[in-house]
Amino acid sequence: MIEQSFIKELNKIVGRENVLFSMKDLIAYSYDATPRQEMPEVIVFTRSTAEVSAVMKAAHRERIPLVPRGAGTNLSGGTIPVMGGIVLELSRMNRILEIDTANRRAVVEPGVVNLDLQNALAPSGFFYPPDPASQKSSTLGGNIGENAGGPLCLRYGVTSKYVCGMEVVLASGEVVDIGGYVDDPPGYDLRGLFIGSEGILGIATKLILYIIPKPETSQTMLAIFDTLEDGGQAVSDIISAGITPGALELLDKTMCWVIEQSVSAGYPTDAEGVLLIEVAGLADSLDRQVKEISETCQRNKVRELRIAQTNAERDALWKGRRGAFGAVARICPPYSVCDGTVPRDKLAQALHKVGEIAEKYHVLIANVAHAGDGNLHPLILFDAKNPDEKVAAKKAGNEVLDACIALGGTITGEHGIGLEKMDAMHLMFGPADIAAMRKVKQVFDPEDVLNPGKMLPPVVDKSLPAKEEVPH
Amino acid sequence: MEKTASRERQAFYQKLAEIVGPEKVMTGNQATAPYEVDGLMPGTVAFASTTGQVSQIIKAANEFRTSIIPWGSGSKQQVGPCLSAADTILCLKPMNQIVELNASNFTVQVEAGMVNGELQRQLAKDKLFFPLDPAYMETSTIGGEIAANATGPLRFMYGAARDLVLGVTIVTPTGDIIHTGGKTMKNVAGIDLCKMFIGSWGTLGIITEAVLRLFPLPEASKSLYLTFANSDDASRLAAQLLNSVLTPSSIELIDWVAGRNLGDTYHSRLEEGEVLLIINTEGGSEAVERHWREINTLAEANKVRSPVTLEGEEATLAWNAYRRVHQSILSAMPSTFQGKASVPISKLGDMFKATKEVGGRYHVEIGIRAHCGNGILYPYVAAKDDDLVNIIGDLRQAAVSLRGLFMVEVAPLWVRKKIDVMPHRNDYTLMKRLKTEFDPNNILNPGRVAGGLY
Repeated sequence: MIEQSFIKELNKIVGRENVLFSMKDLIAYSYDATPRQEMPEVIVFTRSTAEVSAVMKAAHRERIPLVPRGAGTNLSGGTIPVMGGIVLELSRMNRILEIDTANRRAVVEPGVVNLDLQNALAPSGFFYPPDPASQKSSTLGGNIGENAGGPLCLRYGVTSKYVCGMEVVLASGEVVDIGGYVDDPPGYDLRGLFIGSEGILGIATKLILYIIPKPETSQTMLAIFDTLEDGGQAVSDIISAGITPGALELLDKTMCWVIEQSVSAGYPTDAEGVLLIEVAGLADSLDRQVKEISETCQRNKVRELRIAQTNAERDALWKGRRGAFGAVARICPPYSVCDGTVPRDKLAQALHKVGEIAEKYHVLIANVAHAGDGNLHPLILFDAKNPDEKVAAKKAGNEVLDACIALGGTITGEHGIGLEKMDAMHLMFGPADIAAMRKVKQVFDPEDVLNPGKMLPPVVDKSLPAKEEVPH
Repeated sequence: MEKTASRERQAFYQKLAEIVGPEKVMTGNQATAPYEVDGLMPGTVAFASTTGQVSQIIKAANEFRTSIIPWGSGSKQQVGPCLSAADTILCLKPMNQIVELNASNFTVQVEAGMVNGELQRQLAKDKLFFPLDPAYMETSTIGGEIAANATGPLRFMYGAARDLVLGVTIVTPTGDIIHTGGKTMKNVAGIDLCKMFIGSWGTLGIITEAVLRLFPLPEASKSLYLTFANSDDASRLAAQLLNSVLTPSSIELIDWVAGRNLGDTYHSRLEEGEVLLIINTEGGSEAVERHWREINTLAEANKVRSPVTLEGEEATLAWNAYRRVHQSILSAMPSTFQGKASVPISKLGDMFKATKEVGGRYHVEIGIRAHCGNGILYPYVAAKDDDLVNIIGDLRQAAVSLRGLFMVEVAPLWVRKKIDVMPHRNDYTLMKRLKTEFDPNNILNPGRVAGGLY
């Protein structure tokens, strides 16, 4: 329980107006983009590194759990304050401090929204490649916490490649600089450890990002298939032909239908699968790439290949993809999204397996995937009021993860472990692997005040039998 | 006392022989002399053939409290803070096989002792390659390159080891075998331990296997050799190139001093004051042609002297010669000091000039090599002993004043013992805590940790 005197201390650090604890406010910060809720005890807005450090120091002294939070868009329960305590809101630290295209660097505060940085960079012809679907609202600090991906990451790589350095407030309140402004900072790659650590190692308060020039031009197309497997095979074939498109996204029939209900992207609603393909680069090289992709699609029995002729057509195609999760949320608010990822030559197999699982459990699954990276996002729709459906959805989700592991993949490609997949960590990692991760946590946060109860599963007594098997 | 120590040592050697077989353990000065490191003569050299053997050896080393120095080809053993002990060299060269090549997923799982050049030859059969091309790639092992975070010219297009290594199998300093990362392009399950081991110089664990990200061999490629009268013209071209839609795979710079070691493969000799830019472009043939055309135009606008284009076998030979420059300089002058400055990319030209000024101040020739796309500059200094410490201080000062950093890589032992080879930072405490947490008995590469002390 947080004492009144502690609230007073917080008031002193950040000002009374930046400390919230009314029921209405607490509810607003009790959830993220996953279907679960836990109440925090107080919300604190900070505006500077010094404030973050002071709040952290006080929380550490009192051993009060603290969850750093950006826009709360994450998809694994990572910002749900499962142990109560403080939610530290960073979205007001949203200044872009420096853009230096000659040095390919942008320095920002963690609360800057991803798209706001993109917009600020646009006039200079530069961009920041990681583009999670949530980029309109998610913050760069949050993107780093989750090591966010996005459609463009097929060509450019994920967040960890684009963060050069960070100012970090540790659990003790101490401020350190990890990585740096220039390449090859000496010593251990602490920023590598920190990126994707889901707020359990520290709070980034300043980010030094790597930005690059935009490609000269791009071409977007939609390839329409009569079976999902054909689409999946086309993806593997395009990549192994040595073409690296700017993006290569897959959507199934259900997903297209759902999207068309909310935005008119121009997706067909009667085809089993579509690929949204974008090639980018020098104008000279695009014609042949489009031709090769078109031939590969034909070999995989494509029904139709549409090439966007205008910017408006291109934007519509992308609007559909980017709005996919939102569109699903509109028709069926409680859904669970899987994030299993497989070696990309296994994509068709994985999609087939997902179809089988949907049938087995009688659940509706809408598929969208960063197909070029082998990153699946099956969205399992269920009626929250129907307990049987809820259980079936949970089992189906677990089985999708099992299937991804069996194909040599991982339980999460970009959404993180958070609360949701903590139990599934054992599918991927042995006790020694998890013990090694705990050692890192021990170094950064020995008292376990930062986002406790996340990512690392509780230590299990070895004498107990293995975890309960999900009945198949 | 001395006797007990010796008996302990013998018991440990006996244990090593049991684990790897007596023929894989060498003792005696003659056998261990080639493995002398930081002035320390190891007592024994053991060769491991499996991850399991490495694990057993590390467990035994913890029992006996004896230090282990993991070893690939030894090409980077003289870099970094000095070791404080080197009882046993653990060489992974026998672990030199491809475990699994997945040509359609563009991944390969290899044992750590595999030599990079050999791996490339195997991959080429499937028209694939691994875009890590450090200077020693013909002899250095994949495990060693990852541990040392070695890079080469291609890093500009493909990134460094942290962008190319998808997972590593590690024997921890207490002998546990752990698996990090995986075989997928994206993976955010748990803390990204794989990154921590990349560039950890064998202080946090021994890399025994790695999963690497591969790329298809490019359809076409061309190398442009562009000579300029001075570094200003070359820097201007580099800046224009970096601010364009062009995407060369590497932009290397070499000055007339270091350039003397290029040999005959490149067709002209550099005059005093000249610098050479070597720009590689690769990809589809249309893109390569466009790059070639536009880079030549930019070069002319910046007063290029006698541009040369190399392709195919000729280009390969020239790149090999370029990679050998580092070793040639160091072999010709064994006392040479080689540093590494990282500066913002637009300041590389300033760092070049500052470096030459330092040379002028102390009346020594400083040779320079640089990765222009990454802001990294390597000065090679053959100075008299008395000046070396001051020269290093001045170079560090120059890098820092450009918002960069400077570290000492290759240097005579007395220099590495006398000065901080690493720049000052406020995150070393965390690094030392990681070292203590992972290696409580300080078994692995004691002393090598950044920031010193351990």
